Amino acid sequence: MLPLSIKDDEYKPAKFNLVVKLSGWFRSILADKTSRNLFFFLCLNLSFAFVELLYGIWSNSLGLISDSFHMFFDCTALLAGLAASVISRWRSNDSFSYGYVRAEVLAGFVNGLFLIFTAFFIFSEGVERALEPPDVHHDRLLPVSIAGLLVNLVGIFVFQHGGHGHSHGGDDHGHSHSLFNGSAAHGHSHGGHGHSHGGHGHSHESKHGHDHGHSHGEHGHSHDDQHCHDDHMHTPGKGSSKQILQGVFLHIVADTLGSVGVIISAILMQKYDLMIADPICSMLIALLIGVSVVPLLRESIGILMQRTPPSLDHALPECYQRVQQLQGVYNLQEPHFWTLCTDVYIGTLKLLVAPDADSRWILSQTHNIFTQVGVRQLYVQIEVAAM
Amino acid sequence: MACAPNRVRLLCMLSLTFGFFIVEVVVSRITSSLAMLSDSFHMLSDVIALVVALVAVRFAEQTQSTNKNTFGWIRAEVMGALVNAVFLTALCFTIILEAIERFTEPHEIEKPEVVIGVGALGLLVNLLGLCLFHGHAGGGGHGHSHGGHGHSHGGAKKHKNGKVRRSETLEDSRSAGEETNNLVANHNNSPNGVNPERKAVDMCHSDSLDLQINGSTPYDELENGHDAASQLNMRGVFLHVLGDALGSVIVVINAIIFVFVWKPCEPGTVCENPCSGQHCADHALNVSSPLTNGTLNKAGPCWVLYLDPTLCIIMVCILLYTTYPLLKESALILLQTVPKQIDMHQLNARLRDLEGVLAVHELHIWQLAGSRIIATAHIKCHDPTSYMDVAKRIKDFFHDEGIHATTIQPEFVTVNSESRASLCELSCRTQCAPKLCCGAVDTAKPLEGSLESKKSCESKTPTLPSASVTSLEIISESVEETSTPESVVIITREVESSL
Repeated sequence: MLPLSIKDDEYKPAKFNLVVKLSGWFRSILADKTSRNLFFFLCLNLSFAFVELLYGIWSNSLGLISDSFHMFFDCTALLAGLAASVISRWRSNDSFSYGYVRAEVLAGFVNGLFLIFTAFFIFSEGVERALEPPDVHHDRLLPVSIAGLLVNLVGIFVFQHGGHGHSHGGDDHGHSHSLFNGSAAHGHSHGGHGHSHGGHGHSHESKHGHDHGHSHGEHGHSHDDQHCHDDHMHTPGKGSSKQILQGVFLHIVADTLGSVGVIISAILMQKYDLMIADPICSMLIALLIGVSVVPLLRESIGILMQRTPPSLDHALPECYQRVQQLQGVYNLQEPHFWTLCTDVYIGTLKLLVAPDADSRWILSQTHNIFTQVGVRQLYVQIEVAAM
Repeated sequence: MACAPNRVRLLCMLSLTFGFFIVEVVVSRITSSLAMLSDSFHMLSDVIALVVALVAVRFAEQTQSTNKNTFGWIRAEVMGALVNAVFLTALCFTIILEAIERFTEPHEIEKPEVVIGVGALGLLVNLLGLCLFHGHAGGGGHGHSHGGHGHSHGGAKKHKNGKVRRSETLEDSRSAGEETNNLVANHNNSPNGVNPERKAVDMCHSDSLDLQINGSTPYDELENGHDAASQLNMRGVFLHVLGDALGSVIVVINAIIFVFVWKPCEPGTVCENPCSGQHCADHALNVSSPLTNGTLNKAGPCWVLYLDPTLCIIMVCILLYTTYPLLKESALILLQTVPKQIDMHQLNARLRDLEGVLAVHELHIWQLAGSRIIATAHIKCHDPTSYMDVAKRIKDFFHDEGIHATTIQPEFVTVNSESRASLCELSCRTQCAPKLCCGAVDTAKPLEGSLESKKSCESKTPTLPSASVTSLEIISESVEETSTPESVVIITREVESSL
């Protein structure tokens, strides 16, 4: 092809321009509310961790230094969520025919795994400390953990609020359970071996969209039930970040609990000299973290395993009935329905039809039937029965 | 069955590792060595990894579809691999943290002899595990060593990375193919000899490169559908065991060097320990040193204390390097990418060249696990009567590509047609959803063409009046819209190809 202009830049392969790439990423991060929140919270966490690190180095406290490293570790969870929220908006291409939307589910899953690992680690440290109680330095612990608690409360507020972004006509289904398990900000007092980690124990992230006003303290239940989306009057939009947000949120809550646990145990140790309080707190918190992560893990595993969407579990057999009652349809075979990402369902099925049946009409009716339950991408294979 | 040996191996390794974990805990209590206790927790994480792999293998044996999991449980293998890879990564992070802590405050090893003993035992267990799993994950079942067994310093491990990975699995599949040929409970796989021939016939529009790409890989991976999936899982286990083996090696080396090189401070004598950052000790020493005259013992060379964290960091680097390909591969499968060996462009072009196919919309190809590939598409053809022939041709075409689970939705061009346009309109009318992210927004922007018909979640579908659907409305809009995509598609493709 002949160049139409003197600028051959157009015809050269794009150079890897780091600055351009980074600025592109920035713009895309700031464009969406979820990722904006994540980004700012990540910055907040990072700065807090840096401050802690510097303070620890300056005051030569190993505990503070290791605590700041743990905060960095938590920031990776936030980073994963941020990356996922950016990636899932990329356009589809030849290698990813569905686009990158599954990234959010994967991010939620990986966050959940990290949380489980953290819980395991905390538990093991608690056991170690229970068996061999080390020296406990309280003095620097308390202010640090209080500061960490504040940071986490900010996070909770931000993601709680962001979670309930939309209303569904008073419906029960709020997509807001940020699956984004807020990296439990380990605002914990990892610093100085005497602390216990803030496990976040409660899955109060209200998995089922309660309305905006609830305080997370009350919702201790973890629903594994998926009836989160009401397919009919939906204004989706936040749905796509649900998994990510829930993951981040759980993480933040875990850390908050950690800070609270540390504060409590520090107080207990100072007032009543109960050395055993620290490891016990650690272990309790680890258990709480583990328990709270289970719903998130279940959901993401279900999606990743191509399971039939739980919210359609009851609706589908009815749909099958209706399809089979269509004129000319002999049989419905091999139905496969799965979740691509939050609220996006994809289905395939095969219909055996009579030779004289009106395939087009059958197709459109079938699509209608399934659209009503929320499956908008359906592939219906028509097989004409031999006479 | 190919899976039973896996299970047996996993159970074997699991019991060994668990036993060793108990031993380490007991020894750590007896010698009150904290390091041994933390090492035992590493062993515990190993146990967990093995349990995860075992669970995945158990689940994945159920390849039949169930009510809730219509695709069966075969994806469990991929999940198991991902979980293991993520755990390994997290473990590496914690090791780095501990190593950094050790750098700032070096510890001496207490009772190095015990450490050597237990470390050697652990190394033995891990080497056994490596042998057990090496055959599966390394290079082919029949003994050509790809990763090396216990040259734990990872030199050999470097071969086992992503670039060679595909050919490894190919060799695996070919060698293991004979075993599993009868065991793949899949659709009918035509015998090896037939496929290349059929490919040659259908290859009229493709170049020879295609033949190489599609000719060799699909039919090999065909053979071990189940096996390829479990390969991923076993690789995860293998990497985990390898990490542990490296850890044991480091422990043993460190302890040996410590025993021979380090001169500890005798408890009775006055001695200076220049290596640890304990202020109190130094302070007391400085006070007392003017008093004692020349007979000052120094504790052994300091660099010995820094050997441990350094080796740990090296080990972490090696581990991360080898885990990354596994992580990437399993994550890509879970992200529903098009399998590596399939070129969408070519496939689309060849599909469109089939007789009777007018257009292809919404072609999606993804990998369920291993070599089970699933494809869905909308095919536009002339009329229902000729449809069954076209369908057969399309199915054969996909079979040749190695894709056996396909669902083809027909669309007919004549007046009352059910084109994509009308489908989209139907769904839009009830709830206009940006929920049609990931694809079904073709009609909104026909310019994108059938290749890039997936839109991001932000694109909106056309806001059509939510009146009741009349066929006339559908007809008019669909006829207009369907006539444009193809011409536009052609144009865009030309532009792309010339650039």
